[in-house]
This record gives sequence, C-alpha cells and structure tokens, in this order.
Amino acid sequence: MAWNVKPSATTQIQKRDAPYLTEKMARRFTRKILPRYETKMGALMPILNEVQHEYGYIPYQSMIEIATFLEIHPGDVLDMVSFYEEYHTEPVGKYVIGVCQSIACEVCGHQAILDHLRGKLGIEPHETTDDGRFTLLTMECLGACEGAPCALINDDRHDNLSIDQIDRLIDDLE
Amino acid sequence: MPVTDPVLTKRIPTWPWGDPKDRHIVTYDEFTKTGGYQALEKALDMTPAEVVDVVKDSQLRGRGGAGFPCGLKWTFLPEVDGGRRYLAVNCDEAEPGTFKDRLLIDFDPHIILEGIAITCYACHLDTAYFFIRGEYRHQARVVENAITEAYDKGIFGKQGLMCGKSKYAVECYLHRSAGAYICGEETGLLEAIEGKRAWPRIKPPFPAVKGLFGRPTIVNNVETLAAVGPILTNGVQWWTKMGCESSIGAPPSYGPKLMGVSGHVTTPGVFECDLGIPLSKLVNDFAGGMRGGKKFKGAIAGGVSMGILGPDQFDAEMDFDIGRKYDVLGLGTACPTIFDEDTDMVAVARNIARFFKNESCGQCTPCREGTQWIYMLLCRIEKGYATSKDLDLLLEISGSMGIMPGTTICGLADGNNWAVRTIVNKYRDEFEARIRPSSVPVGMTVGAS
Repeated sequence: MAWNVKPSATTQIQKRDAPYLTEKMARRFTRKILPRYETKMGALMPILNEVQHEYGYIPYQSMIEIATFLEIHPGDVLDMVSFYEEYHTEPVGKYVIGVCQSIACEVCGHQAILDHLRGKLGIEPHETTDDGRFTLLTMECLGACEGAPCALINDDRHDNLSIDQIDRLIDDLE
Repeated sequence: MPVTDPVLTKRIPTWPWGDPKDRHIVTYDEFTKTGGYQALEKALDMTPAEVVDVVKDSQLRGRGGAGFPCGLKWTFLPEVDGGRRYLAVNCDEAEPGTFKDRLLIDFDPHIILEGIAITCYACHLDTAYFFIRGEYRHQARVVENAITEAYDKGIFGKQGLMCGKSKYAVECYLHRSAGAYICGEETGLLEAIEGKRAWPRIKPPFPAVKGLFGRPTIVNNVETLAAVGPILTNGVQWWTKMGCESSIGAPPSYGPKLMGVSGHVTTPGVFECDLGIPLSKLVNDFAGGMRGGKKFKGAIAGGVSMGILGPDQFDAEMDFDIGRKYDVLGLGTACPTIFDEDTDMVAVARNIARFFKNESCGQCTPCREGTQWIYMLLCRIEKGYATSKDLDLLLEISGSMGIMPGTTICGLADGNNWAVRTIVNKYRDEFEARIRPSSVPVGMTVGAS
C-alpha cells in the first residue's frame, strides 16, 4: 500500500564512505537523462530505475546523494521511492519471484503456485530467504492474462505455470 | 462490415489470419517493406490541420478505456506559442484482465512510433514520452531498441521528421515506470514523468491546456496511436466501414479493436475484431469456446473497473454503448475475463476489491478508506462471518465514493464501485447464501445515511 506511513523522525540510516552515486554514473546521467526532461526532478524516476538496477535496491544514503545531484529535497526522493511498488529500500534476493495474483490468474489457479512456492522456499510473500537467493512477491496484474497463471522471475515472465514447471524453473536457477 | 483484413495485427500473426507461433519482433526494415512509415510520408504531404481533420472525420475513439474521441481531444490544444508541447504515450496497461497493448509493443513497436510521429506533426508536439509500466521489462527493451532504430533511420531527431522531409523535429523518449496502477490515469501519468508521486490532478485545467511541466500535452493510448497510421493510409471511408453504428443514438463505434480474452476459455489471447461483436461470438469463434465445455457464468466487461456482465448477458455487443445497455460502466479496454459456472463470485469480488485497495493512491480520503473497507467487508462475507447489514453497508460505501457522487479526483474509486456493485446486484443470491441474518431490527440504519 503506497500510503502506509511509519514514524521516521528518529530513523538512523546506514552510511558507507564510498558514494552509491559514483562520478561515472553522475556523468552518464548528466549526459543521457537530464537533457530529456525540462526540470531536474523529471529525471528522478529514470535515475532511481538505474540505481535500483545497479544495486538491486535503493539505499537511503543514495537517496540523499540523488537529491544533492538533482538539487531537490531528499524527502522528494523518499516520496517517490515509498510510493512506487517496484522500488525496494532493503536488499532483495538474487532472484525476485513475483507471482501475479490478479483476477485472471486467481480464477486460473495462482493460489496453488503461490502455496507451492511458500513451501518450497520456506518464506511468506514479501520475504527473502536467509541465504539471500530468493525473494517472493505477490504482484498485481502483469498484463499476461492469456497466460494465467503467470509469474515474473527477475526480468523474465513465465506463462501458463504448473507446479512441475515452476519447480523446474527454480531448480534451473539453483 | 466485418474486419476482413487485419489492421493493427497486420504484421502480428493472429487467429484467424495467422498462427501466433510465427510471431516475431518486426524490425524497421520489415516494417517499411510491408508498408510501414508510408502513412507518415502521406501525413507530411498534408498540412497538420488536414491530418487532424482526417482523424476527426474517422471518429476514432480512444482505445484506453474512456472512448473519448481522439480528434476532438487534439483540437483542445491551444495555439502554438513557441514553447514546448508534449505527447505522453499511455502504455501503463495495469488494469487486471487487460493485455492488448502488450501485443503491439511485444511484436510491432514501429506501428506505435509511426502513430507518435504523425500525432506530433499534426498537433505541433515536439517531445514524446513513451510511458511504459515497470512490469513490462522485456517490452521496455523492445521499445527502446525500436526507438533507437527509428532515430538511426531518421524518423525522429533534430534533422526533422523522416530524414528532414519535414523541418519539424520530434524527440521520442522511453520513460519506464515502477509499478503503480494510478499512473494509467492521465494526470497521474504526467506527475510520474515530472518525478513526483502519481497523484492525479484536479481537472480543469485539462492536460491539453496545462499538462506536463505546465505545458500543453496530449495523452493517448498506445492502440489509439497505432490506429492513426492505417486511417491515414486507407482513408476515412475504409475505417468507418468497420465497426458499428450506435443503436441508441450515441456516437458510433467505428473501426477494428484489439480484444483480449482471458479466464475460462480454451484459447485465450488477443484478437482483432469489429467493435460491436457479441461477447458470445468472441468467446466461441475466436477464443475456442468455454474451457472444458462448461457453462458461461459471467464476464468482466473490459478491465475489472468496468463491472461485470451477468449470466444472461453473454450476447452483449462489445461496443462503446455497452455501458448504457448492460448496466456496466463501459467498454473499457475491451478485454473481457470470462468466468465459468464453477467460479465463486464472492471470491471474484474480493480479488477485485483487493486490487483497488492496493492501488488506491491515497490522495482522496473516501477512496483511500473506502477501498480498504470494501475489501474487509468482502473478506468477512467470503469467510462467512458477515450479517445482512454488512451487505447493505458494502453497497452504501460503494455508492458514496468516486467521481460520480463527487467525492474523489479520479475514477479509481468508481472502478471499484462499479465492479463491486454490479457483482453484488447480479449475483446477490451467492452473497446472501454466505451471510447470516442480521440481529439489527428492520428499519434501523447502520452507517451514514
């Protein structure tokens, strides 16, 4: 839920010495992304996408660095990150498995797939396995209703899933 | 007249014209060899105003859900004042049950790029943002490659459209979203491009007057833009022969339409059909009939927010009048999800309510709270803990939020209302079988009146 709020006044964020937004990245953003938008803030979403792609999640420290880079308030960056579902503020597993739970997938049996994954990985949706390999997510419509039930594993979508098939897919990853 | 040749799916093998197994990404070379970018060439020989007139005459209605006349929308733009003007391509196809735009992006991205170029020329727009939803990761790469190809071949870029055939230069950028259904609302989409949370804006001012970065902006759906090219190539007469007139005196529904059938059918998929095709024909002739020979129980009209067609509405005509004739909100994206006789309609309602609860952006209180309460009430009904007063309360909440009673900014709450209300009205016995009688005396009201 995009609008869930947590008290954050006393939050301590973890910091490291090396910046997440490296000089090289900043140069690339200045050259490739900034000219595309009329305001610097417009470049925020593509930059967040790039940072998440680079690190797998968006560390709080990087939000401050992005804010400095774009000359906006860090709160504006956090606002974006907390609103959109695909941005993670904590590290996720090497393989992110997103099972579609919308209407076509539900009536075509997504629950069996989800229950099987829960048992196999030993985690609930929105959790990561202890070894950091898998994160299980439930997602809203993936736009592949003709292939229900479907799931995203990292960037690849798999349609018409059966339990055998999802077993095979996961075993191939391991 | 039925659609005799594929229009939007010309290069994408689709039943009955081709085998979906032969589908592949159409490159620039293949696209131009099969007549691609000829419509743009034709457009550049005309004046922008003439192009707008052709689209206006064709009475092309927006394919994104609302069915607003595309040509009319273009005429809302103010006079050119030298400042920047934008096109935002709405490819945030996040409505459950809808997957028609994906077919175009997956295999024939250039048909959309051609539509973008023509639209930008016709409306004096200089920058186009191709806004694609975050979940379409593979598709984003396909579009990115196609845009790069189009730049290399001189369609877009500083030299002017089509390698300088026109002095008018258009820039086209891909903008990837990150997973929020509300970005599909046109002003929410603009906020997202501006780098803010996708909270819809109060209208007016409409985007055509004051949109992206405060400048005039046109927001069109992918399929609408894809249709612009074929209309210019083949003419208005050809276009208006397909589709149907309105039987109730409303504006006509011309042209072919991509319809995605999912759920309990034998061969789900996207098909290109005439507007006005009866749902039963779509299911039986195109989608291979009901899965396992079961009986039809109901169908989401076109994306969950449009409401449900009941068991006696299997023959409903899929055109823009469907809303007025069959007690649903509208045609939406024309992507029906079919349910067979074994489907639990309470579970369907609960699933839809969960979707809207998750995707409510939280800007307007009635929607933020209401979607949550509707979901909780439906969970309670499904589990068998509810009393008959809960059902009344459910209907009351779903009647008191949304644009229609005037309590929210965008139509997300209306989508929730229509879905829940039509399911409860059309399958009331199933809901009543799950609930216990109320101990509250008859005549007492619960909740706000």
